[in-house]
Amino acid sequence: MQDFDALKNMWQQPSTEKVDKTLPPLKRVNHSAGLKMKLLREQLIGAIMLVITAILISLMALYGNFNFVHWYTYAAMVLVCFICLVQAAILLATYRKIKHIDDTVVPAIHLQHWEAYYAFRKKQIRWNMPVYYILLNIALGIYFVEVLGGMPIFNVVILLAIYFGWMFFAWFYLGKKKMKQEDARLQKIMDELRGIVGQLNVVE
Amino acid sequence: MNQQDQFTNLYNEYGEGIKKLCLGYTGDAVLAQDLLQETFIAVWNNMQKFRGDAKWSTWIYRIAANTCLAYLRKKKDTGMDIANSALAMLPDEINTKEQEIQLLHKCISRLAETDRLIITLVMEDKPYEEIAAITGITENNLRVKIYRIKKQLTEIYNSYARL
Repeated sequence: MQDFDALKNMWQQPSTEKVDKTLPPLKRVNHSAGLKMKLLREQLIGAIMLVITAILISLMALYGNFNFVHWYTYAAMVLVCFICLVQAAILLATYRKIKHIDDTVVPAIHLQHWEAYYAFRKKQIRWNMPVYYILLNIALGIYFVEVLGGMPIFNVVILLAIYFGWMFFAWFYLGKKKMKQEDARLQKIMDELRGIVGQLNVVE
Repeated sequence: MNQQDQFTNLYNEYGEGIKKLCLGYTGDAVLAQDLLQETFIAVWNNMQKFRGDAKWSTWIYRIAANTCLAYLRKKKDTGMDIANSALAMLPDEINTKEQEIQLLHKCISRLAETDRLIITLVMEDKPYEEIAAITGITENNLRVKIYRIKKQLTEIYNSYARL
């Protein structure tokens, strides 16, 4: 029979397995596995894609030789670029907000940080996604006035069907799916932390 | 002192203690090494955030605790399997000191996640005040918990040692 002090003495005996005094290879551990990293990556990739889109549309407007007759068609292209850049800035701000969540604090405070972020994100999604889609569709609508203006009605119907089909698919399937995935990740992080905080608070 | 020198000093000073903490958590030397690395990567990434309102040791042990807790919750099922299979691999007779220590590591890994952290810190002779700061629970709660965990660990160890 061993009492706790005997176990403690056993624990404090110098280990035969010494820690390697050289610094750990900092690139060995796969950081991308973390849920926080996945959330960060999503915002960053989204922002980069939007900036690339804005650059491509700008290049098309400048060097595309479209020879549009109406000024508002070019204005629509500028507007699309502007919307993409503003949305990229919003994604980068969200990225920064996630990055600032401090992993070095005690679990209870860490949980509070994630809950605050979750509340912020819920609010942000509620206004940001509809505003983004409405503005983007207004800009594309203006662009289509001239682009589709001279086309036969059959082609216009086909192109608009493809366009609206894609927009509905992006809004009702891709967007909802992405939001659901993000929500599940955030819930998982908070549930894990709630479990830890719950364990720490149990006193019996 | 630049960040690299400071990091090297921190690693040399706390690396061994953190490794033991991780070993107590997982009961597995390979996993402990991985968690040690992950802890010090987090230390490196967050060094700018250290404002000096806690001791370096409290801060580093808190990161280690958070890293272990996050890892173990992620791998909860497999973690228990590791502990179980490691216990099954122990020799029938516990003769040497090394085997006793191995058994102790495995027994700690049978406790609830946060209990492993607390008892490991107790065995490292960390003051209760510091353990409370690392875990974020009050000292009063901590005392009650420590009393219960000590009893539980002793029972688990003795039940395996008797086998």
